[in-house]
Amino acid sequence: MKKRHEQKLVILSMLTLMAMNIPLLLLFDSADPLFGLPIIYIYFFTICMFSIVVTYIILKRYHE
Amino acid sequence: MSSIGLLLILGFYVLMLFYIAHWAEKRSNSKWTNNPYIYSFSLAVYCTAWTYYGSIGVAANSGLNYLPMYVGPIIIIPLWILILKKIIRISRVNKISSIADFISLRYGNSRFLGALVTFVCVVGILPYISLQLKSISETFHIVTKTASSSNIFTDTTTFVCIALALFASYYGTRYADASEKRHGIVTAVAMESILKLVFFLIIGIYVTYFVYDGFGDIYAKASLLEGFKAKNTIGGLAKGINWFFLCLLSMFAIFLLPRQFHTAIIENNKESHIKTAMWLFPLYLLLFNIFVFPIAWGGNILFQGKVMNSDTYSLLIPQFFNNNFLTVLVFLGGFSAAISMIVVSSIALSTMVSNNFLIPYGFIGSLQNTSPEKNSKRILNSRKIGIFTLIILGYAIYRVFILDYSLVSIGLVSFVVVSQLAPSFFGALFWRRGSKQGAITGIIVGFLICIYTLLIPYAIGISDSTSQFIQNGPWEIALLKPFQLFGLDYLQPIPHAVFWSLFFNSMLYFAVSVSFKGNYRERNYAEMFVDIDKYNSNHEDAFVWKGTAYILDIQKVLLRFLGEAKTKRALSIFNLKYNIDKNVTTADARFIKFAENLLTGHIGTASAKILISNVVKEDKISLTEVLRILEESKENIIVNKKLTESTNELKRLSTELKDANLELINKDVQKDEFLDTVTHELRTPITAIRAASEILHDDDEMPEELRKQFLQNIISESDRLNRLIDKILDLEKFETGKQKLYLSNNDIVKTIQNTLESLHQLIKNKNIAIEFNENKSAIKAFYDEERIIQVIHNLVSNAIKFCDELNGKITLSIVENQDNVEIQIHNNGKGIAENDFEAIFDKFYQSRNQNVKKPIGSGLGLAICKQIIEHHKGTIWAQNTVGGGAMFTFTLPNYNTNK
Amino acid sequence: MKKILIVDDEPNIVMVLEYTFKKNNFEVFIARDGQEALDILKTQQPDIIILDVMMPNVDGFETLKQIKKDERLNHCKVLFLSAKNKEKDIEKGLKLGANLYVVKPFSIKKLVDQVHGLLAS
Repeated sequence: MKKRHEQKLVILSMLTLMAMNIPLLLLFDSADPLFGLPIIYIYFFTICMFSIVVTYIILKRYHE
Repeated sequence: MSSIGLLLILGFYVLMLFYIAHWAEKRSNSKWTNNPYIYSFSLAVYCTAWTYYGSIGVAANSGLNYLPMYVGPIIIIPLWILILKKIIRISRVNKISSIADFISLRYGNSRFLGALVTFVCVVGILPYISLQLKSISETFHIVTKTASSSNIFTDTTTFVCIALALFASYYGTRYADASEKRHGIVTAVAMESILKLVFFLIIGIYVTYFVYDGFGDIYAKASLLEGFKAKNTIGGLAKGINWFFLCLLSMFAIFLLPRQFHTAIIENNKESHIKTAMWLFPLYLLLFNIFVFPIAWGGNILFQGKVMNSDTYSLLIPQFFNNNFLTVLVFLGGFSAAISMIVVSSIALSTMVSNNFLIPYGFIGSLQNTSPEKNSKRILNSRKIGIFTLIILGYAIYRVFILDYSLVSIGLVSFVVVSQLAPSFFGALFWRRGSKQGAITGIIVGFLICIYTLLIPYAIGISDSTSQFIQNGPWEIALLKPFQLFGLDYLQPIPHAVFWSLFFNSMLYFAVSVSFKGNYRERNYAEMFVDIDKYNSNHEDAFVWKGTAYILDIQKVLLRFLGEAKTKRALSIFNLKYNIDKNVTTADARFIKFAENLLTGHIGTASAKILISNVVKEDKISLTEVLRILEESKENIIVNKKLTESTNELKRLSTELKDANLELINKDVQKDEFLDTVTHELRTPITAIRAASEILHDDDEMPEELRKQFLQNIISESDRLNRLIDKILDLEKFETGKQKLYLSNNDIVKTIQNTLESLHQLIKNKNIAIEFNENKSAIKAFYDEERIIQVIHNLVSNAIKFCDELNGKITLSIVENQDNVEIQIHNNGKGIAENDFEAIFDKFYQSRNQNVKKPIGSGLGLAICKQIIEHHKGTIWAQNTVGGGAMFTFTLPNYNTNK
Repeated sequence: MKKILIVDDEPNIVMVLEYTFKKNNFEVFIARDGQEALDILKTQQPDIIILDVMMPNVDGFETLKQIKKDERLNHCKVLFLSAKNKEKDIEKGLKLGANLYVVKPFSIKKLVDQVHGLLAS
């Protein structure tokens, strides 16, 4: 897999790290409900899902 | 549910696992066992009873703090494409069988470091094993509604434990070479991972949609409970920092935990499986966490006011509603989670203990003198005993200490201990300067800090907050308070310990590594690890070693472990790979490394090195020399690459040259053939002329008639010769492009008419019928009229020669197309043989091919026609027609396409 | 009277040969190609055959092969007369059993001598 595609994954990792920690994390730090769950859970699931989907797409497209 | 009943179910379940493991061992290489999904699911051994029960407990009691365990992996897994691949390659190439092997090999194949890492892992993981056993025991008692028995022999957990130990020790140690894959275990673990997820989802759905009316319902009721808001938010900056350290912890754990290292790296079959694991494993983690909130708060709501162990809500809730089936199902899920952890960890740990303690510090001496079969047996037995002992020890710890710590807290302590390996582990991969001393210092200091900040306080009992030690520090030194070391007071115990231990660990690792030069062996391995991609295929080349060694001596050592057949095979593979003569007696660096690798699987890297160094004599090399050699080999690799490129370029050029040469030879041959044929053709009329002349000269008595006849022959043969020469020259001019065409717009109808007129006499003489629709209006085309007359003349002459002898008929027609004009000349003769359609346009075709009836003519006519037509940018071809006879067609560009 | 079979597809050459050998008291038979020659040979056994190589249908070499199979023609002399003058052609002709290989263009006087020579031996 080419270097530049590998770097996409590295960036994804860094983005996820920043999204899941302070200060970004604290922006969504609330127990108010959204779809029946506290917002913070929804935030987590969304970020996780995003990371999984992007990883899948990058691997599918660029891995020989 | 009765005890016996549950035991039976358990027994059946365990049997099923045995069966799956057995079946998978049989089919080691089928797509069912050797596929990326089995690999990815086997990684889910990460989720133990801690995930299954513990996270619910945390969610119910203290809030979000269970999440970092899964967030960490999800953050770091995209980096697997770089890191994991590298680790797998290094491990495969060096036949590494555990993380202790990995670290010790990197830092110069150090026996001490290997033992140290093993020690840290055992201290960290044993309590964890105890926890799993504790969870099995507790949940068993919940389902059967019995009390935990203080008598070991009647406690069912004992039997479970023994059964597990037997299973793990049997299936975990099939081969003496520990780097061989254990398909049985891996498949069984993968199955268990799937089952535990499925069962967890089932209970989740049950609680959310059957006990309650969906997420919203649970939320509405839960939000009324006290502490809801606090438990479901991070709650500020300090908590956020705590959160960060917990994430960091799990990011390391996913690499360093022995069970993870084992399933992700040792048991990896194909690098491409990583691709699937990178999205499937995070997805697994995500799914597992969806229903934690509803189950936790569903339990809180249901049991509010009562004091229940919230870890076991997933059992208590269905039990509350007398749903036996679900209760047992949940129990089985938790059981799976626990036993997969126990089995994999004990195998990993026992390999480490055997390779890094028992053999190098123990019976390595005796291994050198026994037969290979006995050696294998001893090694395998030592591992089997190791596994058994570890599991029993874990059980003992559980029983003796009667831990009332929650699953989560001990699990976290375990993570912190194992994470002491992080600086040296990641340094091994990326930092060439990382040295053995640095690693050892860092790990020891980090470990000590762990003990001070976690293990000791926990042993005293966190609940015992009256402890002087904890409150005021040892000897009243406030700065050394175990939970507020050096005054850091806004971190909770675990993140606090993480911070300080890793801080000192890594600082010392860096400081010592840059202050003291390592020995050359470390430097060599540092290169081989960090630059693994360069040395992937011939890593033996990267090994630097100088001294005297004999293949025979090394062979003797190998025989002790591999046996006769395998040793022979290995040697021949080596000789083939490096193109070495069988008769060479001395061993070079590559062979040394190769031999060490072979032994590593059986006895670990440290012992392998010891055994080999015992039979060879190594010269001392300085660090500078090693660096020089490594630089050279790096340059060599670059030069090699350039050489290969140049060689390929040369090869390509040489092929091109060969092809060009062949073409020239071909042309030469063609020219020779042409000359041959031409001279032959020319000689024929010359022969006739000469013969006739001779006769006329010598014979005076010839009658006048005959005399005239012969003279006429001479004349006509001279003409024939002349025409032939003309045609040859014509053809030559066309072929070399020197022929000039005088193109203009002409009327093809008229041209044809003119040509036919010139042949009129000949046609009449032979009684041939000519058909040409002369009433057509003028059809314009672009051509050289003189040349086209030549073509039509030739084609019609041929038609006259070949058409039917008695009822000869020749038809000419014109077809107008968009870009060109087609002129067709048809004769009703025998037609042309299929193979000859193209060949007839060759020079002298008729004289070469004896099957064609030789008409009067030069054999060049059609060749010249082809040249003329092609120079007009048209095409000419022959075909047979349906009604019989042959048709020649040629095309000319018409007025519209002005070329 | 000796019999001679002339096999050649060039009429002008045949004419010369026919005249010459008739003048030399030969009974002359003519064939235009190998097939015609073989047909004639079914009923006639000439003393000598003058054989061209380059002919349509059945060429000279092929014809000689067939002649050699015929026992009645064992005594028959064969003389190749051809414009093909390469060493390999001459070799081939002689290998197939020709008694002589004469290259075109040829001298009539010489040819007649060669024929008499062959018949004498």
